[in-house]
Amino acid sequence: MSSGDPRDTDCHEVLEQLWLLLDNECDHERRELLQRHLDDCGPCLERFGLEEHLKALLARKCGGDHAPDALRQRLLQSIREIMSQAVSGVEVSSSTESHVWLSTEC
Amino acid sequence: MGVVGVRPADSAEPDQPGQLEPLPSEGVGQGIESPGAGDSGVPETPEQRTARFERDAMPFLDQLYAAALRMTRNPADAEDLVQETYLKAYGAFESFRVGTNLRAWLYRILTNTYINGYRKRQRQPVAQPSEEIADWQLAQAAQHSSTGLRSAEMEALDRLPDSDVKDALSQLAEEFRMAVYLADVEGFAYKEIAEIMGTPIGTVMSRLHRGRKQLRDMLTGVARERGFLRDAEIAS
Repeated sequence: MSSGDPRDTDCHEVLEQLWLLLDNECDHERRELLQRHLDDCGPCLERFGLEEHLKALLARKCGGDHAPDALRQRLLQSIREIMSQAVSGVEVSSSTESHVWLSTEC
Repeated sequence: MGVVGVRPADSAEPDQPGQLEPLPSEGVGQGIESPGAGDSGVPETPEQRTARFERDAMPFLDQLYAAALRMTRNPADAEDLVQETYLKAYGAFESFRVGTNLRAWLYRILTNTYINGYRKRQRQPVAQPSEEIADWQLAQAAQHSSTGLRSAEMEALDRLPDSDVKDALSQLAEEFRMAVYLADVEGFAYKEIAEIMGTPIGTVMSRLHRGRKQLRDMLTGVARERGFLRDAEIAS
């Protein structure tokens, strides 16, 4: 796969790397090489198209949920309550700082 | 702020998901060290920190809730998980360094909270990942003939209602599901997913590969059940 000739790039290798291209995880050189192969190879291009389609489908259909307003309000209220406690004398010391990190690991 | 600063930039990558440590400042994000509020020498007041949290972290609530829904697979549990995540994040926010990737940091706390604590309390049995049995799928995936979805199949998948696609995603083993969700719905880079899930990048890639393959097979099956796709079109 070093000569730059698309025919020298094995389809098997290209198919294994299609997702690197789709996920934008390729360096420039590899991207060029894969794209040159796709320009020349119908079956690989078709496969690329459907993987791209699947990725877009997932993004379109599996996201976009909205958190309930009640949750947002509850969170804001809890945060302000915690803040009030801190303001009214329970100062955060350096020892509680490391405790806080531990708590994120539970 | 010292807790973050003393961590090595590249601590050893844990083998198991869920062994998440606090994000090292260089680990995720743009790598730009802009001075945080706590770095200026003037301590941030609780009011200032709260305002900063509400301004910077709360806008991710919808995204984190959506991710929590995909993890827990039901709204009530998702709410509880998000609430726990945000309260932990708020508690640790003093140590979060401005200029690092807040979104990835929040997702990491979410994932961590789910894997290490929340999941254990969930009544629903959790499917174990079957990474080791899927090697044949890798071989199969790298051939034109055996997996080629034709345009008819792509059109059929487009016709599936959102709920079918979400259901299919929810049936993936947890580790596959999260990797696919973080990459394809949230658009995280491999490196970020590795940080969030606490795994090496190679594991992320493997989970993505296998999860996507399983998902595609499942969706094609659902499309066929719905009558959007005839067997003849698949076999052609």
